[in-house]
Amino acid sequence: MLAKLRLFGRLALIRPRFAAGYVIVVIVAILAILAPVIAPFSPTAADSLSFLQPPSGAHVFGTDNVGMDIFSRTIYAPRIDLTIAILGTGLSALLGGSLGALVGFYSSGRGIRVWLSFALMRAADVLQAFPIFVFAIALVASLGQSIQTVVLAIAFVNAPIYLRLMRSQVLSIRSMRYVEASQVNGLSDFQTIIRHVIPNAMAPVLAQLSINVGWGIVLTAALSFIGAGVRAPTPEWGSMIAMGFQNVVTGQWWPSMFPGTMLAVTVFGFSLVGGSIEVLADPAKRRLLLRDVRLHDMARAAKTAERSSLGPV
Amino acid sequence: MRVLTYLAHRLLFIIPQLLGIILVSFLLVKSVPGDPAVLMLGPTATPAAIANLRGALGLDQPLYVQFFIYVKNLLHGDLGTSWQTTRPVLDDLVQRFPATLELVTLSLLVAIGVGVTLGLYAAKRPNGWIARFADLYGLSVGALPDFWFALVLIFVFYTLLGWAPAPLGRLDMIVLPPPTVTGALTIDTLLAGDLQAFGSALSHLALPVLTLGLLNAGPILKMTQSTMEKMLESDFSRYEVLCGVPQKLVIRHALRNALPSIVTIISVLYGFLIGGAVLVEIVFSWGGAGQYAVQGVLNSDIYPVLGFVLFSAIFSLIVYIVVDLIYVLLDPRISN
Amino acid sequence: MPQANVTTELEVERMPETSAAPLVAVRDLRVDFPGANESKEVLKGVSLTVQPGEILGLVGESGAGKTTLARSILGVPPASGRISAGQVIFEGRNILDLPEPELRKLRGSRLSIVVPNPRAELNPTMTVGKQIAALARIHLGVGRAEAARLALAMLRDVHIPDPQRRMNAYPHELSGGMAQRVVIAMALICNPAFIISDDATSGLDVTVQAQILSLLGGLAADHGSAMLFITRDIGIAAHFCDRVAVLYSGEIMELASRENLFLKPAHPYTLMLLAAFSHSPKLRDAWRVAETGVRQIQEGGCSYANRCPIAQPVCGERRPPFAEFRPGHFARCHFPVSHE
Repeated sequence: MLAKLRLFGRLALIRPRFAAGYVIVVIVAILAILAPVIAPFSPTAADSLSFLQPPSGAHVFGTDNVGMDIFSRTIYAPRIDLTIAILGTGLSALLGGSLGALVGFYSSGRGIRVWLSFALMRAADVLQAFPIFVFAIALVASLGQSIQTVVLAIAFVNAPIYLRLMRSQVLSIRSMRYVEASQVNGLSDFQTIIRHVIPNAMAPVLAQLSINVGWGIVLTAALSFIGAGVRAPTPEWGSMIAMGFQNVVTGQWWPSMFPGTMLAVTVFGFSLVGGSIEVLADPAKRRLLLRDVRLHDMARAAKTAERSSLGPV
Repeated sequence: MRVLTYLAHRLLFIIPQLLGIILVSFLLVKSVPGDPAVLMLGPTATPAAIANLRGALGLDQPLYVQFFIYVKNLLHGDLGTSWQTTRPVLDDLVQRFPATLELVTLSLLVAIGVGVTLGLYAAKRPNGWIARFADLYGLSVGALPDFWFALVLIFVFYTLLGWAPAPLGRLDMIVLPPPTVTGALTIDTLLAGDLQAFGSALSHLALPVLTLGLLNAGPILKMTQSTMEKMLESDFSRYEVLCGVPQKLVIRHALRNALPSIVTIISVLYGFLIGGAVLVEIVFSWGGAGQYAVQGVLNSDIYPVLGFVLFSAIFSLIVYIVVDLIYVLLDPRISN
Repeated sequence: MPQANVTTELEVERMPETSAAPLVAVRDLRVDFPGANESKEVLKGVSLTVQPGEILGLVGESGAGKTTLARSILGVPPASGRISAGQVIFEGRNILDLPEPELRKLRGSRLSIVVPNPRAELNPTMTVGKQIAALARIHLGVGRAEAARLALAMLRDVHIPDPQRRMNAYPHELSGGMAQRVVIAMALICNPAFIISDDATSGLDVTVQAQILSLLGGLAADHGSAMLFITRDIGIAAHFCDRVAVLYSGEIMELASRENLFLKPAHPYTLMLLAAFSHSPKLRDAWRVAETGVRQIQEGGCSYANRCPIAQPVCGERRPPFAEFRPGHFARCHFPVSHE
């Protein structure tokens, strides 16, 4: 366990960008959880006398045009954004992934299941040909504007990705010997999937999940930005940006810039995490990474040896 | 001749694809709450008037009948009417789509410029700092929210520096738009010889094009970098080095082999951007087709949304066909 | 290893350079492939010379390091390979020390290579005519039209049927034999002083092999070029080359004139190669060695010791030096076979 932590530490030194990603995600998560403790003001308390105050001692990020404290709202917002994004992405992976695995399994063989798989794939094609944002807005508009529907919109928009991912994983693993062997041994299809397919597919799915959570946050913010997502005064980065939008043009940048930058940094962090998972999962890239770790260790060992051999003159 | 049969095959497949898209959008849009008749006539309408309008619009028919009516109208070029603008959707889109197309095309050119250049450099020197920067760029820039990035650019270049014009549309208020030929302001102003309007159009295009172009260069960069790396390590590239071919020429030859993959991703991006430019259009009050569709959804105005989805789908499909034709020309192995 | 032994080895280890100035001299070339855990040394100090106008044969089995040697002489070891030591002297300078752009000017124009498996090595999106002409334009500085004319002339010289049409063919449209001729054309169009032919005839039908061989030999003679002819087939080397070297596991085991190698072979490995191709069953049986289980590479010993039928204990302990025991005839063996 300790060895793994030390390895992680060295990995962080040679690939600082990955470490930065994890640090960002952890900080945002902490903020989301501890917001009620840290925030100096209530996120919805509007003090109409002190609106559009620039950042100061009292209001670290300033106040917006109805007098709400931007700092408090900014650190409360991840609760909504992260929750929606994680739920939506998780749902899309479950939905798309399980359908994709089934499609992959039944893409050849007997009768009606083959046809259903084919139809499902074509449906996924059509779905992905849609302009994503318009689709999301339409979903939210048709299902009613609330947090749950935003989650559903994210789930629907991302499901085809996991459908395809799991399908291709199943197709490539299916042709491998050990799956045939287990089927000969009498395991049912379902058991085969659980035992063989899922562990192998885990890595690319995880990488995709992390990146998608980032997208999910952006989609939530975008929907709220145009008024089709989370409604004011619930603190949410997108709607905060929208509220402060006109003010940017007139020079008061803080109502939009602080939440906007937090949003960008958070999404950036999730992308980096996804990228690191991608490298760790790909055996070729992982070997290169470990080789760099070894080179780094050797260089450090050489340096300490040099220093100790020089000694006191 | 071969080309014609290929085209015929592809066109045949488009029809079911299009029908599928129309069906899904129709169902989706029909489930948006809000009675169009009520919205059209306003709050003072009498129940009788509403009932009349619903009958005239065919809204009292079962859903599949409404669908058939819609498709039949489509074939006659009737995409329905927007109750917000009270004009036929086809006219609205014809007016607005060129704005989106101009924006997206110029942004794509910027994305290609940035993506291919960085990708080439990163492939040439895989351990240099450009390669590391390119990795970071390709990984994370695409995730950044475009409406935020646009806001940052507006703040820096308009509010602080005053270099860019206000984000209020495609032209300065005082400038008269040129007579419409293509709908693309850059082209039309040049055709009309109006250099002042041309300059104004360019200056208004600067920030939105920069936003979309920089944020979407990632996929092109990654594809260029990975494909070129593979090509430069291939047998024939090494053979060229063995024959003493100078580095610049080796890269150029390798690029020729890498083009199919790069062109594929550009075409996918092109289709994606038509719908993906929506937020930028809104931020800059562009008056484009995406903005039109969003306003449609938010106001239960369904025909604009359907029309926009149709336009962008057809556009994507055309782009894919053109790209496939380009492949046949580029790769001699396919034509046999 | 004790100091005394090392000095002895250095004294006796002879560079196979005769009094006449060689065209190309390879000195102690070492190439390794850094792997995930440790490097694998593929060439362990190869030295040879090629005189102007001569054909030096290099015979070795698969995995001996033939292609690595061929490409490393030009400074381009195969993927992930690294030249760790050694020199390649051409026209008075060590070309491995030259900066890359300088070296590229030499490659293809003064030093060229004929590669095996040509269809994989040619650029799939360019016509063969353009690829041949490209070399003329780069190295000879001629214009497009002149380069095309030279390329066409070259295609005729390599006896490609219907050369005009083949100019506009793509590599995948050619047969193996035709692609091989194209690659030969590319190697010769700039009139090089030195040609490396890396296994240029393997993978071809026997009749095509014979044609390519005579073509290669004739062209080299016409252009006055020297050649390093690399092959797996010792029989071909017999008929084709002036001198022959035998490569085993990254080391030259024997180097001799054609007559000496085939009439008085000294190294046990050479004998085994000759016997394997021999028509006499008695000879084949006498020199056949059963492959025993795991190949053990002894540190510091002769690398052929574990397959050698006449190996003695000293062979596993000390690496034999490359000794000249007859004028112009070298062998790396403690117990070279004597024919006197």
